[in-house]
Amino acid sequence: MKKIHIIAIVVIAVGLAVIVSTISNSSTYAPFSEAIENEGKTYHVVGKLDKQKEFIYNPEQNANLFGFYLVDNEGTEKKVMYNGTKPQDFERSEQIVVIGKMEGDEFHAAQILMKCPSKYNGNEQDQMKTVGSI
Amino acid sequence: METAYLGEHLAFGKAGNALLILSFTASLLAVFGYLLPLVRKNDEPQPWLKLARTGFYLHLFSVVSVITLLFYLIHGHFFEYYYVWQHSSSTLPTKYMWACFWEGQEGSFLLWTFWNAILSLIIVRNGKTWEGPVMLFMMLIQVFLASMVLGLELGSIKIGSNPFILLRNHPDFANLPFITMPDYLSKINDGRGLNPLLQNYWMVIHPPTLFLGFASTAVPFAFAMGGLISGRVREWVVPALPWTFFSIMILGTGILMGGAWAYEALSFGGFWAWDPVENASLVPWLTLAGAGHVMLIYKKNGTSLFSSILLVSVSFLLILYSTFLTRSGILGDTSVHAFTDLGMSGQLLLYMVFFVVLAVIMMVVHRKAIHSVTEEESIRSREFWMFMGMLVLVISAVQITVTTSLPVINKIFDTKMAPPADAIDFYNSWQLPLAVILSLLIAVGQFFRWKDSDMKSLVKKILPGFIAAIIITVVTELYFQFDRYQHVVMLFTTIWAFTSNTDYLVRIVKGKLDHSGASIAHMGIAFILLGALISNAEKHVISRNMLNVDLGKDFPNNENILLYQNDTLAMGEYYVTYKGKSKEGVNVFYEIEYLKANHKQGGFNKEFTLRPVVQLNERMGNVSEPDTRHFLTHDIYTHITYAEVEDKNKPKEDGEFKPPVKHTIKVGDTLTTSNALVTYSGLNKQTDKKSLFLNEEDLAVSAQLSLIDINRKVHLAEPVFILRGNSIFSRPAEVEELGLKFSFDKILPETNEIEISVYEKKSNSREFVIMKAIIFPQINILWIGCVLMIIGTWLAIRKRIRNAANQKA
Repeated sequence: MKKIHIIAIVVIAVGLAVIVSTISNSSTYAPFSEAIENEGKTYHVVGKLDKQKEFIYNPEQNANLFGFYLVDNEGTEKKVMYNGTKPQDFERSEQIVVIGKMEGDEFHAAQILMKCPSKYNGNEQDQMKTVGSI
Repeated sequence: METAYLGEHLAFGKAGNALLILSFTASLLAVFGYLLPLVRKNDEPQPWLKLARTGFYLHLFSVVSVITLLFYLIHGHFFEYYYVWQHSSSTLPTKYMWACFWEGQEGSFLLWTFWNAILSLIIVRNGKTWEGPVMLFMMLIQVFLASMVLGLELGSIKIGSNPFILLRNHPDFANLPFITMPDYLSKINDGRGLNPLLQNYWMVIHPPTLFLGFASTAVPFAFAMGGLISGRVREWVVPALPWTFFSIMILGTGILMGGAWAYEALSFGGFWAWDPVENASLVPWLTLAGAGHVMLIYKKNGTSLFSSILLVSVSFLLILYSTFLTRSGILGDTSVHAFTDLGMSGQLLLYMVFFVVLAVIMMVVHRKAIHSVTEEESIRSREFWMFMGMLVLVISAVQITVTTSLPVINKIFDTKMAPPADAIDFYNSWQLPLAVILSLLIAVGQFFRWKDSDMKSLVKKILPGFIAAIIITVVTELYFQFDRYQHVVMLFTTIWAFTSNTDYLVRIVKGKLDHSGASIAHMGIAFILLGALISNAEKHVISRNMLNVDLGKDFPNNENILLYQNDTLAMGEYYVTYKGKSKEGVNVFYEIEYLKANHKQGGFNKEFTLRPVVQLNERMGNVSEPDTRHFLTHDIYTHITYAEVEDKNKPKEDGEFKPPVKHTIKVGDTLTTSNALVTYSGLNKQTDKKSLFLNEEDLAVSAQLSLIDINRKVHLAEPVFILRGNSIFSRPAEVEELGLKFSFDKILPETNEIEISVYEKKSNSREFVIMKAIIFPQINILWIGCVLMIIGTWLAIRKRIRNAANQKA
């Protein structure tokens, strides 16, 4: 067997390892119902903020604890707790992705990603605001 | 009837549209002109070449004119044009005019087209026999790029997005009632302006560099394809080499600038976050670096031709893929950079598929010519280890691509995979070992000779650098005390890569500039990896909040501290004070003073002040921008993670008190309120009952409280505890100046304690900020590495240009 063949086999093996590890390490986009079924397993839950309910944030007592209610795409609502500060302009977010797991009746998020209306390019919403101020 | 609109300057737009169409058709013309002599070999090539050049120069002229025109419109505030309205405003400083030019997708495509045209000009002028075949592919790329800004609508298919579209024709405005009025323009006072977050010099220098990097990857690709189509399957490598290294240099600079921007001005908390957008430009760079190395192998011994063609093609195709990823909106949830879909994903996909198919067909058709009989490369040869280095780079690129492409995989296979929960950790766990192997190869690679090396003299040559590396590693490790063995290993290999290349530069190259490119560039890479390792592995958050309970060990995120105005808190080796905020335009600056304790005289010495910003960004909401203090050995990075931006001074329900806080205290105990220190100094049994309107038989005792406020002023308060018969009363004492009220609720004789309730007015809440402070040690090594890498690559380009010129002569 030539060296080149050994190398080819090693490269293919590493390539396969990359794919396998990516898939096995990947988290899943899921609704709360699935996260509840597998309590303790990490999920990405996509949803919208329940704007009717108040935030749980009392920086003067604990600056690193923030909670809110999230309605997932199936309509299930859960309290989400996050060990960090309340993200800037959280109220304005259109869509929220929380990465974390269910613990009891709460979803503990390690990370929050927010999608705010228009970052680099305009959408109708904020253009209407500009026009409205004319 | 057509409305006659007032104040519009329609001629510019008409000229712009004509020029856009001209740039598209002229590039098509050039394609045909360059293609025909290659297909119809019997024809006299000169007339076709003339036609092609005419096409090219027309194209160049129209691209430059379009850019000049659009810039003129932005500069002159012609808000009847949507692009001008959307990206600029009349208050925008002139220095940001270019920044708003390429803020939008159309502008950035124009920038890309422009660079491609400029690079093409160099090929037309200096390409000699290569002009025809190379320009054929350059112009083919231009056809696609020019179509991105065409803005033609053929039935339901929209081709490109036109930067000259009128405001009143844009879908966002066309249906608004006021837009139909003849004088609608007088109601548009100003443009929407450049996003304030992008109003900094990075936005002026980063996009042009990055897009020049993107455009430059087309040249080696065009050379490879041109070589195949013109039957010069082997000859293209040497003239393409300087272009490959040029591309490595510029794209590398662009990527690093992006990292520096993120580190300096955005609050990602570091210079590299493995964000899909960052990855999308890093991956082509990795494959291109691989391409550069196998091209050198080919030049030296004639092997690795197929790898060279494959890698330059893959690099260019990956640029197209990254453009598709970042501009089609497919990344959606996974990136902090939000990109909206301009409805061009189909076109981008077509662009990508076209060139993938083209490259594959070219390689398959010419497979016999490409396939060279390769003799076994010796394991003791330089080319063998360079080839290994290329493979490591490719594996690194594959790992990043697969992980970044999860959204694409989801779309194709209808799966619901999300990125790993801790994506950064996942990337690092793969990339760190690869970086270790890579730096080992960088350390020893150059000491091998081409073809074959004598192992004895090799070991002898390597030894000094190796020993130096061991010594430096031990010293560094003793200082930093990395606790993970992977970090120690990488520390050693990157240091060795540096010392060994320094050694090579001094002893073997003897500092001759012409031959020192590789050593200097590799020293740079070693420093980039070393700086990244130390500043990341040893980065520590000094704003730790030790008081609060967190959500458990999986969520250890108590990295923010709360600072009341004028309070001083210990943080790492410093003390910090939040002095106050000031507003300048849309930016709110928070003044954070860093102090050090003065042990001799007591008190504090002011060290420096940082002014992190919260930007009240109308488009994106509030955005936090950090401020960083640079030292030679480390940086102190500070950013505001939470602040109540609304004005605190607005009247609140003034008279109201917050719910009381109960305290059980002994004589001499101290309590804190938000604005004072309260000391309980004792009971007073001789209360003046008369002044309190009490009966003689009542039993009254008061607690003597002394309060020291922020200004060191002392206040007194004596809440009274009253026993009348069997009933207990409390007469609270209020300190109005401080908005505090105390009531004396209970006496506990057994323990000599008393119970006090403290009431604070709601308006008492003091201004505060919550911030995060991180120390990045030795990050300057990373920046020095960047500079070395750029200088080294430049020296390599210079040498390759000379080589290519000599080959022609």
